[in-house]
Amino acid sequence: MNPSDRKDAVNPFGKLTFLVVDDFENFRLSMRQMLRSCGADKIELVAHATPAIQYCTYNHVDVVLCDYNLGEGKNGQHVLEELRHKKLLKRSSLFLMVTAETSKEMVMGAREYQPDGYLTKPINRAMLEQRLGSLIKQRNALLPITREIDRENYPEAISLCLQTLPKQPRYKTWLMKTLGELYFMVGDLAHAQKVYDDVLNQRELSWARLGRCKVLLANRNFDQAVDGLKALIEKHPDYMEAYDLLAEGLQKQGRSAQAQQVLEKAAEHSPNALLRQKHLAELAGANQDIDTASQAWRQTVSLGTYSIHDNAEHYLSLAQSLSDLSEGDLDEEGAARSSEALSVLTKMEKHFDNDETIGLKSRIVQCRLHAGQGRHREAEKILTAVSSELESLEELPADMGLDFAKTLFRMGREDQAKRILGDLASRFDNDPDTLQKIENLLDEPVGFRQKLEARSMNRDGIKAFEAGDLDAAVEAFNKALAIVPDHAALNLNLVQVLMKQYDQNPEPALLAACQQRLDRLSKLPEQHRQHRRYLALTRKLKGLTA
Amino acid sequence: MTDPNIDFSMVLASAVHDMKNSLGMLLNSLDELRGEHEQSLAGSDKFNMLQYEAERMHNDLVQLLGIYRLGENNLSAHIDEHFVPDFLEEHLARHIPLLQGLGLKYSIAADDINGFFDEDLLTGVLNNTINNAIRYTKSQIRLIAREEDGYLVLGVEDDGQGYPESMQHTGTLSFKSLDFNTGSTSLGLFFASSVAALHSEGKRTGSIKLHNGGSLGGGVFEIWLP
Repeated sequence: MNPSDRKDAVNPFGKLTFLVVDDFENFRLSMRQMLRSCGADKIELVAHATPAIQYCTYNHVDVVLCDYNLGEGKNGQHVLEELRHKKLLKRSSLFLMVTAETSKEMVMGAREYQPDGYLTKPINRAMLEQRLGSLIKQRNALLPITREIDRENYPEAISLCLQTLPKQPRYKTWLMKTLGELYFMVGDLAHAQKVYDDVLNQRELSWARLGRCKVLLANRNFDQAVDGLKALIEKHPDYMEAYDLLAEGLQKQGRSAQAQQVLEKAAEHSPNALLRQKHLAELAGANQDIDTASQAWRQTVSLGTYSIHDNAEHYLSLAQSLSDLSEGDLDEEGAARSSEALSVLTKMEKHFDNDETIGLKSRIVQCRLHAGQGRHREAEKILTAVSSELESLEELPADMGLDFAKTLFRMGREDQAKRILGDLASRFDNDPDTLQKIENLLDEPVGFRQKLEARSMNRDGIKAFEAGDLDAAVEAFNKALAIVPDHAALNLNLVQVLMKQYDQNPEPALLAACQQRLDRLSKLPEQHRQHRRYLALTRKLKGLTA
Repeated sequence: MTDPNIDFSMVLASAVHDMKNSLGMLLNSLDELRGEHEQSLAGSDKFNMLQYEAERMHNDLVQLLGIYRLGENNLSAHIDEHFVPDFLEEHLARHIPLLQGLGLKYSIAADDINGFFDEDLLTGVLNNTINNAIRYTKSQIRLIAREEDGYLVLGVEDDGQGYPESMQHTGTLSFKSLDFNTGSTSLGLFFASSVAALHSEGKRTGSIKLHNGGSLGGGVFEIWLP
């Protein structure tokens, strides 16, 4: 068919600009041929991701046809993420992923951005015209709505959705999904829930169930949300977004170990979603499961290579967790982890050399790595350099200060570490997250293995105390305190047991021991959550000695 | 010598995956070739056979992978609402070059309805059924869609001899019904039946129906979805 025959007034292809991204020249040419015979006129062809993104930066594109597999480097999903993230491609423009897969599993599971449609190779002209034609028709019908979304005029977009619903029943799914998301975005949870309920009343659809659970979570209805998501996953073990949301819900319920398990399972199903690996790494780190954390950070860093989400913090966290693991482990494994960490840091410095603080952040960890492998001279040398560099900084950022304090503890400079933390605590007294981190470091300024040991002894002590075995409790708490002598809650636990012993057998030595423990906490900052308990027990001790 | 670490079905699945993608490329080239040499290839039986058989293998492999995932309990239906006439048109479009090459007529008789189903799973079923109909029809095929008894019925009709008595059937097939001795393994029917069964709503589940007659008087394949 001659292309010029088809260019009539109603031709939906003619007015639009197309970008074809494929690393095979033959495919690009045949795609252009097919598009032309459908009536398209403005068609740009590129072979790789970078020129594709470049082109979209300077030109308006209505339809992107991008192959998933672009050879070495960025793939189609990376292109999609970058275009949407940087807003180089409007919501009113279409992004179509071309895959050789009948199943979308490779592409699925990246929760942030979904393409507007998939085209499965082999593609012939008739298919393309039909599929693309109906997508363009849909785009045109919904253009008033997507245009308002592009302008971030969400209330207007909502009312347009509502007006369009009765007029365009064939786009009902799109309209209801978008409506739910828009209500959620503007914070109108009641209406968002109603949208999902309306859909679910007609039919159990997984996207609506997910949306409803998201609303429940936002309403702090954690139990219902978690139950709903568990049931959803039971039915659809390959629905990755449900795992992510379930992990969030479990975390909010305080079940962080379970949350971690859920994310591990999701990462096993679909290991290529960077943000999920990152979430897993953070969660495992908070759970003191440093093995899993470092593995997930390693994945996050490697997935970042071509991703818009690549970030120096991922490299730093990987190096930090490897440093935790290798500290004091002079065997082969420890040495290997330590040197991996050093090379990760080198890579980070090269990669993010436009960030002025990156070298400093790197050296703070390097110092710990050398110390952890017994190379004290190197560690001292780095510490001296870092200290003087930090002095020239006007204000120490919280994360850097915390990490520096951690290094100082390892290098035996406790006083300096505590001074820095005290200073940070007063500067960030409105920031509960930072305060919590300061508290944790003050309580447990030791490696994570010792930390776990002390925690387990603390638990033993509490168990013994509850069972009425006071002697065993005292022994357990004392053992724990030998590892973390400044741990506020632990010290106070011991004081409480000693007082109880004094009740039964009033020996003055017991009170002296109490006084000794409380003296250790004399510099406990007022912001510390144990501070009130400390004051109460101090008063009680005064009463007993008087 | 057996290595216990080799998961044979896994090896098979990845090989199938690879073959399927190769065939995809092959089919793409065939389409292009047909476009470039429209005149000389228009009525070429050999070329049509090439395309038909490649298409058939591709479908088989797609189904094989689907059944593998079914066995791994890794396949679930992602049901969404779709505008049925668009869906049918899209899938017919893929077969148009071959239909034209063979001189077969094609049409769609679908009501303007929305239906609830998993797009990818139904794609596999439809491709296979259309391909089958192309083989057994005399002069035309027709895709149909309607609502009946609260079910969405998607079907493919032809004007060929129809299904032999032994194949006409209603309901779902079990894995045991696959017969590797008769040449026709009914793999496609087993897959279609499994896909139908993955679609459920409340207590109702999907099923397939094979019978003769229909608007063209030949074989009729129907998948009923709740």
